[in-house]
Amino acid sequence: MTATSAPATAPEHAARQHWIGVLSRTRRAELLRHENALRDAEYQVIRAPEIGMTLVRGRMGGSGAPFNVGEMSVTRCVVRLADGRTGYSYLAGRDKAHAELAALADAHLQGAQQAHWMRELIEPLAQAQAARRSRQQAETAATKVEFFTLVRGEN
Amino acid sequence: MSATLLQPAFADPVLDAQRSFRAALKALAGPGVTQSLLSAQTPPHLEGLASASHALCLALLDIDTPLWLAPKFDTQAIRANLTFHCGCPIVSDRQNARFALLDDSQLHDLSGFDLGNDRYPDQSCTLLIQLPSLQGGRQVALRGPGIETQNHVSLPLQEAFWEAREAHNDFPRGIDVFFLAGSELMGLPRSTQVAFKKGGA
Repeated sequence: MTATSAPATAPEHAARQHWIGVLSRTRRAELLRHENALRDAEYQVIRAPEIGMTLVRGRMGGSGAPFNVGEMSVTRCVVRLADGRTGYSYLAGRDKAHAELAALADAHLQGAQQAHWMRELIEPLAQAQAARRSRQQAETAATKVEFFTLVRGEN
Repeated sequence: MSATLLQPAFADPVLDAQRSFRAALKALAGPGVTQSLLSAQTPPHLEGLASASHALCLALLDIDTPLWLAPKFDTQAIRANLTFHCGCPIVSDRQNARFALLDDSQLHDLSGFDLGNDRYPDQSCTLLIQLPSLQGGRQVALRGPGIETQNHVSLPLQEAFWEAREAHNDFPRGIDVFFLAGSELMGLPRSTQVAFKKGGA
């Protein structure tokens, strides 16, 4: 397949990719705080949380020939709410409770109350992730070493 | 998306699939002996499929096994659930199928299914035939590997099926069949010889 995806539905896809990405990077404890709200709906587990392996591939320098980095464990889950909305989750690691909550969140986010869930769930989680990332970048930056070469008096 | 058609499969995916696979093995190892699946190990009802058919699909099909569906089973619900839970490609031409799901209206014509080849007879297509019942037809005697003397079965099948099977049996090439009804299944491997009650065959 080529990289050109259907442009008509791209904004919806991008929004869903964003929240699924946020949910997959969330820490378990952060999502458990919302457990009661997420489970407060009739739902059916279509694919119970299951642990598997996936092969991670990379490209040299980001654009070179693909190679296999290694395998990692992945947990996936699919749920369906009573009104037919289906939520999917794929998470790194082996945490089944986390996978089920993330799938529930995906299902809720596709419904009429999307704005509510974005405000209550996704935005705080995304901010927490951004804060963690910038803190880590700051810590890393503090250890940065500048290598330099003295200019030799050639001229 | 057909996501609204999806429904749960096995309650215990690993053990229930293994139990169903075990029943399928026993059915092929003892042709003509009825095997039963316990209701606790069969998946929830899927419109159009008997529970034994559904269980065997979930146990046998995966991404490497293209499936051919008879028109009766070619419904959105069956397509959506089998592709979701098994990941199997659904093909429209019989030649490419490794498994085929048939009902009793198709049995006079078994042409087109892959019989395997002399080097790899195991690459043949396996038929899953859903019947209303495993009894009630003309009695035939089965003989061959896995049967001590004779097994008598009375599957509700037309004469044309036995003729079609005979025509597509060129041992070691041939077609293995599972008959499915309700939560019961019966195996008929290619090695089994069929004799009708009053001589003939």
